[in-house]
Amino acid sequence: MNIFERMQALDRRYIYIVVALAIIIPLMIPYNSDNNTTPPTENLYQMIDSFSGREDRAILMSIRHDASTMAELYPMEVAVLRHCFERNVKVFMLTDLPSAAPIIDYVINTVKEEYPDIKSGVDYCNFGYKPQLFAMVIGMGDNIINTMNTDAEGRKLENLPIMNNINNYTEMNLVVEFSGSVAGATWFTYARPKFGLNVAVGVTAVMAADLYPYLQSGQLIGMLSGLKGAAEYEKLVDIFAAYREAHIDYRLKKDSEGNKIIGGRPFSREILADESTKKLINITKQTKAEFTQTEYEAFVSKYPDRLQVFNSIKSEADGKIILDLSERERLQNELGFFAFDDLERMSRDIKYKFKVARIGMNAQSVAHIMIIVFIILGNIGYFIQKARAEKK
Amino acid sequence: MSFELFSNLVGAFFTLCIFSFLYKDNPFYQMAEQLLVGISLGYGLVMTFNRIFIPYVYQPIVLKHQFLLIFPALLGILYLFRFSKKLSWLSRYPIAFSMIGVGSGVPMGIHASILVQMRQAMVPLETLNLALIFIGTIAVLLYFFFSKAHSGVYGKFVNVGKWYMMIGFGASFGLTVMARISLLIGRIQFLVNDVLGLLK
Repeated sequence: MNIFERMQALDRRYIYIVVALAIIIPLMIPYNSDNNTTPPTENLYQMIDSFSGREDRAILMSIRHDASTMAELYPMEVAVLRHCFERNVKVFMLTDLPSAAPIIDYVINTVKEEYPDIKSGVDYCNFGYKPQLFAMVIGMGDNIINTMNTDAEGRKLENLPIMNNINNYTEMNLVVEFSGSVAGATWFTYARPKFGLNVAVGVTAVMAADLYPYLQSGQLIGMLSGLKGAAEYEKLVDIFAAYREAHIDYRLKKDSEGNKIIGGRPFSREILADESTKKLINITKQTKAEFTQTEYEAFVSKYPDRLQVFNSIKSEADGKIILDLSERERLQNELGFFAFDDLERMSRDIKYKFKVARIGMNAQSVAHIMIIVFIILGNIGYFIQKARAEKK
Repeated sequence: MSFELFSNLVGAFFTLCIFSFLYKDNPFYQMAEQLLVGISLGYGLVMTFNRIFIPYVYQPIVLKHQFLLIFPALLGILYLFRFSKKLSWLSRYPIAFSMIGVGSGVPMGIHASILVQMRQAMVPLETLNLALIFIGTIAVLLYFFFSKAHSGVYGKFVNVGKWYMMIGFGASFGLTVMARISLLIGRIQFLVNDVLGLLK
């Protein structure tokens, strides 16, 4: 029995072990890898970002899946919601599946705990479970308040500040549907032709092939496909929406000229292609914040009463000022939430829940290589065996 | 022991029970499988009762006295007559009523899935991608035109359609592998991070 014949007869349990190891090892030992962003993801990101800071624009996240597809869809939902919270985009959430209602709560709670300023009914609104999606889709085209009536907590929508300047699809001009089956169909079939609503989807990878024709024909303005789509969106949020400048005090809502202060920066292909952005997307633990002298002075001037704490963790290397965040708990206590959060952002460290998809993509890449190798070896073995059988 | 830790341990135990099938069929796997079916049914029932029956039937009719809603509620109850051999015909009425959706769905579905798609296949062939899409659309459509034998030059052209489909199936297979591996990654992330707390 030669090696190929042995491989043909290999117990499938060995293959399971190899695949399991190919996934577990990259998860346990994370490494910094890059995910090239694709136009469907970038288009969705840019569309949402164009609503940044606007009172008369909002997006709707339609969640249509249960726990079975959370591995792929949940990181997307977290990334999109985080983008909205970072860039001050009004966001509504809705489901027509009873089993998806707890998932909406889970997503909101996961993201919201990092944003103490974000308030339900002001910055976001959860419509919760509503039956008869078809009626809702058509009704919201005329008037959202009359169609939905109340949010998930039973509050009258007309009393919520988030509804100011939001009437129908003219304002809530983008819906992003997350689904494990045919995502977005109700929206691009009924709402897009009648009301001109922009539709985007987040789907499991297995469904993506079915939806590419709608993307190509312009009926979908963007698409996140599977874990890869989620990883791409996470990356864009870290490079643009979650980016912070050392000298800007983001606690202030308006600058000296009365303009809104919004965190992050607009999407730009030049920035995306720039090598310096790589330090913004490291998925390994970052414990050091690096500043130039000017940046450091601007940063600490925002927190003059914490200067002593900053000096206690300060060091210099290669002409840069380094602040060490290793003593996390002490610093959290001494700096308080906002100053510590600001400093942590300067270290460009990414919280686990905001990099889940990228960590998963590392494992995904290794597993794919393993599967490709198995397929090639299996085919070689098959054809060699076939050729020998023909000879005999 | 906190509730979160307890629920994570329960989740981890049943995840491992299901994974044990990869070794061979065993009582742990069977127990987890049966529990999944039972719990899903129970969860679905409670969920439907709490999130549909109570807020959309009980509260409006009993508490808010919106008695007009009794009629659609009765129409919905007719579905239950499917369990009766003699009266199962009554269940056709709510089904007939729900056909309204089909009436509106057909024209709009044709618009989104056929007309707009056709329009996009009729654009000027300015880029290579558009030319490839055009050739692929025609070749695949002709492949399913069985009134003419697939032979000669015509046969060679429709064979191009077969290759397009092969590439499509390959892409679908790749995406399916990606989706299934993602589910496995999700479970292993749960075991490694949520249960063991090893990822930061």
